[in-house]
Amino acid sequence: MPDFRTITIINHPLYLEHDTGGGDHPEVPERLLAIRQRLAQSPLAPFLSEVKAEETDRENFFAYHDESYLFRFEEAALSGKTYLGHPDNQICFESYQAALMSTGGCLTGIDLLESGKADLAFCAVRPPGHHAERALALGFCFFNNVVLAGKYWQKKYKREKIAIIDWDAHHGNGIQDAFEEDPTVLYISIHEHPTFSFPGTGYADEDGIGPGRGTTLNIPLSPGADDTMFLHSIDKLVEPTLASFRPERIIIAAGFDGHVLDDMSGLSYSTGLYKKIGEKMAAWSHQYCQGKLLSILEGGYHIEALAASVEEYLLGLAKK
Amino acid sequence: MYIARHMTSPALTVTPDILLPEVRRILNSHHFRHLPVVDDEKQLIGMITDRDLRSAYPSSVLDEEKRQVILAGVEKTTVAEIMSRELCTLTPHSTLDDALYFLSRDKVGMLPVVDENKQIIGVFSVQDLMSAYKKLYGIGERGSAIIAVEDDGLAKPLTRIVKVLEELDIHFSRLTRVKNEGRKDTIYIRVHTMRLNTVHTALKQIGMTIMVP
Repeated sequence: MPDFRTITIINHPLYLEHDTGGGDHPEVPERLLAIRQRLAQSPLAPFLSEVKAEETDRENFFAYHDESYLFRFEEAALSGKTYLGHPDNQICFESYQAALMSTGGCLTGIDLLESGKADLAFCAVRPPGHHAERALALGFCFFNNVVLAGKYWQKKYKREKIAIIDWDAHHGNGIQDAFEEDPTVLYISIHEHPTFSFPGTGYADEDGIGPGRGTTLNIPLSPGADDTMFLHSIDKLVEPTLASFRPERIIIAAGFDGHVLDDMSGLSYSTGLYKKIGEKMAAWSHQYCQGKLLSILEGGYHIEALAASVEEYLLGLAKK
Repeated sequence: MYIARHMTSPALTVTPDILLPEVRRILNSHHFRHLPVVDDEKQLIGMITDRDLRSAYPSSVLDEEKRQVILAGVEKTTVAEIMSRELCTLTPHSTLDDALYFLSRDKVGMLPVVDENKQIIGVFSVQDLMSAYKKLYGIGERGSAIIAVEDDGLAKPLTRIVKVLEELDIHFSRLTRVKNEGRKDTIYIRVHTMRLNTVHTALKQIGMTIMVP
């Protein structure tokens, strides 16, 4: 009988209500259903604890987003608009509530970690968040879950130094925008090169601004980059940067669209890579954060590859 | 594409009777490198640049006595004596492409923009050109990426690409076909969407081959 550490999975029924309009839109509720099904049949299943996300105060959104943007989004959803700002960002009547709860779930995860009820939290949320900016929906994202989680951790629990590690295939422009002048938050992103990939940001020379200089690390990989190149970046660039920053808490922007089968990027990661990533993130959580780690789902659009990769990641995280 | 929308207007100008120390002070205080020279009717008669001034002023490696002699001369020299008089100019109806051609051909950093009476109404610099093309092509905007496809050699490739992009409601800001000697042409498209997979699939369906670097 295998033995694993317990992982808390944050869920909410609203996450399935955010309807992106059918057609061939890749950000669909089936993503979460596939993850749930896969985990139910996994050797991890007995070690998973499901927690329902809780609503969070509206005030917590103003740590990054403009109030007028919240009004604009809510009005668009309730008035039957089909997208916010750009046709990529499809919405339905429930999308505003779902997006609020997506962030709510991430903050629920932090409360669980800080209360000692959990060490490893995986927020299986949608819509995703890392492209959203202060008053801008972008790339299927509406509220920047990772940014709001970082701000919440600092404000409510006085965890001053936060590291965000983002290995979604796309650069998290919203996270960089929020923290590029802030020396208390280290943002590290490994993504497909901006010349060839959405959203066209995240060049290696973008390393922070003013007092935040040196606390942004962008690692763009060429199209076709594989496990070896990813792991090389982790060892040679991420590891030493993290060691010199010494975070009190780590947030993972967990995107699985770098998988070779996922056609939303040109990266060529294997399913097995995600287990290695999980092991590495868990090791860092022990080294810096007393074993505590918050992982937030971002991209991942090939349904089977997503489910299999999430399972591998969690197997790596939960390994004893 | 017209210069009128992208030039800096009004332009700071000087008159030909101004002495060089004064013009140097103006250039330095505004961090400018070029100034149009105009007559009493605001008609353009020349251009003075920081390079003209550097040539007029004494070299720092000269011995002090020679320096002082040259400096004394410079202080009595007017703009009219050293300005360039053979000028290439733009009009408000010139295009960005015209400006690119003239700036490159004449190896200058700025072109004056004049109306039909030769009166100066603005200036257009290399920096203005870069800003204009950056905006025009959506370069640096969040939310876009470039896709390269190989021209399949069949009829109307650009028409087929535009049709499929518009049918899918995919925004794009650039569509360029580049001739390659001895090889098939390359078509570059800057698309403004995260759904690059949708674009790839649609382009493949109309027979295009996506080029990966």
